[in-house]
Amino acid sequence: MFLYRTLKIYKMKRVSIIMILLVAAVMYSCNDYLDINENVNKPTSVAPELVFPQALTSTADNLDNFNTYGMQIGGYAANAGGYGGFNETVSYAYTPNNYSNLWLEYDNLEDYQYIIDQTKGDSTNLYLYAAAKIMKCYGFQLLVDAYNNVPYSQALSGEKYLTPVYDDATKIYDSLALSLDDAIAAIKKGQSFDIKPTSITTPDIVFKGDMTKWIKLANTIKLRLFVRAGSKVTFTNPTISTDGFLTEDALINPGYTKDNNRQNPKWDTWAFGYTGSAGNKAWIPSTFIMTYYDTTKIADPFRGSAMYYQFAIKGGTGTNQLGYEATGIPKSPDGSFWYPTDVTRKEFTDTTGVLKGPSAGYPMFLAAESYFLQSEAALRTMISGDAETLFNTGIKASISYTYQLSDGTIEKDTFDTSDKRIAFMDTAYHKINSTNYLVNFNLAGSFEEQLEAIITQKYLALNMINSHEGWNEYRRTGYPKVSGSTAEGTFASKVSLSTRVDKLPSRILYPTSEVQYNSSNVPSATTNSFTSLIFWAK
Amino acid sequence: MKRILLLCLTAVFTFATSSELWAQDRTVTGRITSAEDGSALPGVNVVLKGTLIGTVSDSEGKYSLSVPSTGTLVFSFIGLKSTEVEIGARAVVDVKLESDVKQLQEVIITGAGGLQARSRELGSSNAIVTSETLTAGKAVNVAAGLQGKVAGLQINSTSSGVNPEYRIILRGQRSITGNNQALIVLDNVIVPNSVLSNMNMNDIESMVILQGAGAAALYGSQASNGALIVTTKKGKSGKTEVNFSHNIQLQQVAFLPKIQTKFGSGGSAYGTNPDTSPYFNYLENQSYGPAFDGTLRPLGPKLEDGTQLYNPYTYKPGHADFWNVGVTNQTDFSMSSGDEKSTFFLSGQYVTVTGTTPGDKYTRGNIRVNGTRKLGNKVNVSYNTSYAPNSYNISSATPQIYTNLLNMPSNVDITAFKDWKNNKFATPDGFYNPWYLNPYFSAANFRERDKNTFLTGNLELKFTPIKGLDLIARQGLTTRLYTQKAFNESYKYTTYAKNTDQSSKTDIPGNDAEWSNTSSLLITDLIAQYDKTINHFNINVVGGTQMRENNTRIFGAGVSGLVVNGLYNLNNGTGNPTYGEGTLKSRLMGVYGKVTVGFKDYLFLTGTARNDWDSRLAKENRSFFYPSAEASFIVSDAIPSLKENNLISYLKIRGGASKTGQVNLGGLLGVPGSFSDDGAYYLKSTFSSQLNGFPYGSLAGYSLDNSIVNKSIKPEITHQFEVGADLNLWNDRITSSVTYYQSRTDNQTISTSISNSTGFSKYLTNVGETEGKGLEVQLHITPVKIGDLSITVGGNYTYTSNTVKTISALLDQLNLQSSGNAYSVAMAGQSFPVIMGLDYQRDPKGRVIVDGTTGLPSATTSNVILGNATPKTRIGADALVTYKGLRFSILFEYRGGYQVFNGIGPEMDWSGTGYRTAQYDRKSFIFPNSVIKTGENTYVENKSVAIANGNGNNGFWSDGINRNTTSNYVTSGNFVKLREISLSYNLPSSLITKFGGNVIKGVTISAQGRNLFLWMAKDNYYTDPEYSTAGPNGNGSGLNDIGMTPPTRNYGATLSIKL
Repeated sequence: MFLYRTLKIYKMKRVSIIMILLVAAVMYSCNDYLDINENVNKPTSVAPELVFPQALTSTADNLDNFNTYGMQIGGYAANAGGYGGFNETVSYAYTPNNYSNLWLEYDNLEDYQYIIDQTKGDSTNLYLYAAAKIMKCYGFQLLVDAYNNVPYSQALSGEKYLTPVYDDATKIYDSLALSLDDAIAAIKKGQSFDIKPTSITTPDIVFKGDMTKWIKLANTIKLRLFVRAGSKVTFTNPTISTDGFLTEDALINPGYTKDNNRQNPKWDTWAFGYTGSAGNKAWIPSTFIMTYYDTTKIADPFRGSAMYYQFAIKGGTGTNQLGYEATGIPKSPDGSFWYPTDVTRKEFTDTTGVLKGPSAGYPMFLAAESYFLQSEAALRTMISGDAETLFNTGIKASISYTYQLSDGTIEKDTFDTSDKRIAFMDTAYHKINSTNYLVNFNLAGSFEEQLEAIITQKYLALNMINSHEGWNEYRRTGYPKVSGSTAEGTFASKVSLSTRVDKLPSRILYPTSEVQYNSSNVPSATTNSFTSLIFWAK
Repeated sequence: MKRILLLCLTAVFTFATSSELWAQDRTVTGRITSAEDGSALPGVNVVLKGTLIGTVSDSEGKYSLSVPSTGTLVFSFIGLKSTEVEIGARAVVDVKLESDVKQLQEVIITGAGGLQARSRELGSSNAIVTSETLTAGKAVNVAAGLQGKVAGLQINSTSSGVNPEYRIILRGQRSITGNNQALIVLDNVIVPNSVLSNMNMNDIESMVILQGAGAAALYGSQASNGALIVTTKKGKSGKTEVNFSHNIQLQQVAFLPKIQTKFGSGGSAYGTNPDTSPYFNYLENQSYGPAFDGTLRPLGPKLEDGTQLYNPYTYKPGHADFWNVGVTNQTDFSMSSGDEKSTFFLSGQYVTVTGTTPGDKYTRGNIRVNGTRKLGNKVNVSYNTSYAPNSYNISSATPQIYTNLLNMPSNVDITAFKDWKNNKFATPDGFYNPWYLNPYFSAANFRERDKNTFLTGNLELKFTPIKGLDLIARQGLTTRLYTQKAFNESYKYTTYAKNTDQSSKTDIPGNDAEWSNTSSLLITDLIAQYDKTINHFNINVVGGTQMRENNTRIFGAGVSGLVVNGLYNLNNGTGNPTYGEGTLKSRLMGVYGKVTVGFKDYLFLTGTARNDWDSRLAKENRSFFYPSAEASFIVSDAIPSLKENNLISYLKIRGGASKTGQVNLGGLLGVPGSFSDDGAYYLKSTFSSQLNGFPYGSLAGYSLDNSIVNKSIKPEITHQFEVGADLNLWNDRITSSVTYYQSRTDNQTISTSISNSTGFSKYLTNVGETEGKGLEVQLHITPVKIGDLSITVGGNYTYTSNTVKTISALLDQLNLQSSGNAYSVAMAGQSFPVIMGLDYQRDPKGRVIVDGTTGLPSATTSNVILGNATPKTRIGADALVTYKGLRFSILFEYRGGYQVFNGIGPEMDWSGTGYRTAQYDRKSFIFPNSVIKTGENTYVENKSVAIANGNGNNGFWSDGINRNTTSNYVTSGNFVKLREISLSYNLPSSLITKFGGNVIKGVTISAQGRNLFLWMAKDNYYTDPEYSTAGPNGNGSGLNDIGMTPPTRNYGATLSIKL
């Protein structure tokens, strides 16, 4: 009995020793066993040049949202027949949900910020650094012009500032101008090296690595900041480099094609999906904008027929006044009224106008806008130059862009060269509007008339292209002129709740996400869509 | 009791072999059979009372024992009532043993290793659901079979359909964004929740519900949510049994939203008659037209061939008839057998379900093989395996179908459009409505096929080198292979159809999307257990280690613009396909120990400890430790005087405290077909490469994703304590138990939304704290037990209160789920979760403030709290009557003290079918209980200013002010459901012998119904408040949406044959 007991204890001990050893062995290998948390699905760091083309393409996507916002508020489009539920879009009683997708521009800016952070102080990547910085300024101006004060100095810092403060819009404008100086200086520094910085030909889907054009873009953005700010901002550096402004359209094109998710975003939104299904049919051109083409205010059969469906047929292009909802309002054809093929609709045929085709580049900054900015700056003697010449070059550039096909060539029609055709239309345009100072600058007697001509033409040049810029310019200058409440006289909604004289809203509200997640900083309580103004607004 | 009995058994063996030492007078023989079915009982202990003389019955139930001249034989076996028989002068003593339900309940499985302990030792609350109770209603899904049966256990059917999903919560929600569902342990191995809803309910021997974290603590992470311990059937030695059964059930829509039946299509947007009644319109989907008048009116535009459809302008209940009566067929087979060395159990099941949506079908098969085998005297091997494939063939457009049906005026008899292929008014071209597809076409054309294959199994080796010591090694495996194919045919409209009237018909491109997902969960356990009794003390020590590995592999691809119509293959698409893949792997290691000290079998103290190391956390945070302690005191055994009176038969007081940890990083919630508890690779920000059409040829592009994570994330920690008592009276004619608990969970891991201006939109970090408390009561009374008649009534009561204490310094609220303008929100200081949304602006007395000119109310400028989304009180009330072969059971469930947002409300008001919209006859009306503001803080009751347009379609009812005001659709969630009712009858054996001879041993016929009746609060005329937009895995309860088809009732009959 005694023996049995000892044996048992011995056995027990042996078993526990084995157990302890087992556990110890397991623990020893524990770290190897558990070190398996490296992501095998997605990269956790990426070379900045791989981020750049994606960021630019994303900018084009956002620009499509900005254009939609601009065309709806800014008078270019109205609700179509067969659809309902437009609500605040036509009453202007905006909630923080309206157009809140514009705020997603920050997501795009974070990619540019990543590139800037990764390339800062790296002399081999000066070009990429500068281009990203210019795009960051471009993006912030979009935000400031839509919202006024926005997070800037503490923005895009991730965990460091979870609730970024709102910076004064005028201060942001000044800082953006300095930032553009810095970008230009970086490019020039790079160009001065014997061994040049890494070329960005591949990732640059705008200028194919042509850094001179980037400098020009930077200068043009800076000019836009100056012109728009007027006397409201005292810029630290009020001079602009002598390298000139954009003379050609800055188009973003990663290789858009008629393919799933790879179409030009505006084409995809309004014309056709890649399988041939129709795009958004809830909107049609406004009666107001049509008056600048159909001879009511201006006769423009050239750009009119190049961008509108059945423009040549009287009443062929359906229009409506915003907010007018009743039976009998024209319904949008498949592909929308901005798809200009006549009568027989041929899906996917590349064409002229604002949609062009699935593979067209997305306009980020039009040469026409550049010229009209210069024209106004010259008028205001902010830069040297002749306002009238720049005005006329602007019109020509706009006609030229309108007749550009998606492959970048300009339709020749029966002319032997494209240039001849553009020149012919440009002359004819001036001729058939020979008594109209909105077309013939020399007829504009006063500064105000000259300014009206410049802004009205810019408004037309931006029609459905960068509609938000047209809307910004209306709010800054009051042009194009609106009056009364008729569909021809004003683009204000028929059911507007606005308390303003022009019955238009003054701005959109900060998005719900800011009200919820940055409530201590967002100035939402003082923001009213009829009284609160962007700092440069009238 | 079982373990003690097993020890006795060994002891008896030892002494039996040395029985020659004892004086032998004579030999008694006999046969031991079951009192229930007369089958032989092998392995029964036969002991001469007061001595150590004894033996065990053989495989035929026979025994033989040498005994002295007089004495009493004691027959005992686990789960059977011990029986004493005077030998007297007999040489043959045959006995029948009855089963002992009470004793069965003493056997309970707990602890990580599947180590058995008696319920009397447990200091925390637990409940047992027997196979009979579980399967009474013949639910196809195990979770459905549990509904309403256990205190503290809340099971919600979060959706409808052919195989509804269920959310299983014990003691309310603790984790704000993490997993709150109970841990499921199948045959001692942790399995994903999805296994439970796909297993054969008839395979289940018993289910033990461990409500609290304490008893479950040893299972490791996720035990904070309590656990459901499922044990499947095993063969019985010496007894071969074969069962067949077939069950047919019908599934019928049980409840449809209440609608107005007076007005049809049209609206004042088309103009009004001189009497201000709105115009009729033959296209309009909104029912804001004139009152029904029975005249024949056109429906839809003229077709291309010039024909026009006419329809009497009256109410028709066609929308209700759209839904089919579903049929469920369930066939079961099982066989069990065994001898002294091994047991074997085999079962098979085949279920087919047709749903209420036309064309929906679900089939499921199950095969299970369980067995045990003794190798020598010291090694036991057991295995449990199950293979369960299922497939769905359902419409992927059910939500749209329901929305469209709600949008169709009731002068349209939708059943007339069933033949969408041949009826020219029902084809997509000819269908009257330009905005919505014919629901019959949608159901037929937009299809989804899902297939699941579950393979679960475990193999256990138990080695008993010396008495009292068990070494156990166990390997568990669960795999799921999920594939999904969603597709639709293309449809090209005629030019005429595209350009008629609203010209809103646009071509439908053909699509094909594939999804597959393979997941596996591997769990390895190594356990040592030592048990020793010294004088009055029993000591049980357990040590173990566990390794867990989760693997998931996902692949998905889709093409659009199918070229050859009707060919659903990825190679038949046009353009850039969408595709993606993912691999996830995470591992966990745990080491645990447990000590139980028992004193005189009436006082027990248990302590447990466990440490986990989790691969998903950073190295410095990956280790976390959590202990638990509990005590149990059987007062009725400790104080002899209590035992002597006849009143108290059992009284136990218990209590415990525990700490548990859970890693919650988000994981794969929402990814179809995967096990939802992963969260690998979450610590670092990532880049995506497939946005905006990238890559374009050779041009690659990456974008920084929008989530950032606090790298020092730690597990969520739940502290819980509970106290309770079990009291049985009058020889168990009354059984009861009461438990009170409190819990606190901190370090909540929350992915908070942050300002986009940070560059990101989500931030995952440790913040937040929740608190829970509740009361759980069970009570059953058997007032009648006379002869063969027995009546038991009783039920369970649960009170739950869960509160969010804090969320983070940044936020005091967190949106968990949204449906329309309603949000399910975790808000600091409020019960968890609350429903938030817009309300009307009200004066201090709660009256609605309206405009002095228009009479219109206005909405609040921000979201306000509109209700609590978790039932505070739940009651399950049941009754069981048995008489000879008859068995009748009934179960009601009540839930109360909460609200629900009904997502179909705004849609019904938009469409004008909503009951609310006709309450003022579509006329101008004064907003009820309204006031007009006349000055700062002065309000005058509004008696005269009426809302001018009391119609919709430009009037009040379809306007945003009505539809966007969330509070209009928040109703009481209270309900009473007749969950289950069943009546079964065992045919008398005389009858069976007459017809079935010796082959058939038993026949049972039964009828049962599930969810036959639903009584809801008066203001809720929408749908089943159990439905949740958040689905089974989401914590944002309290909201439902239009995607959910109407609730159904099931009823059917079953025939079971035992061979």
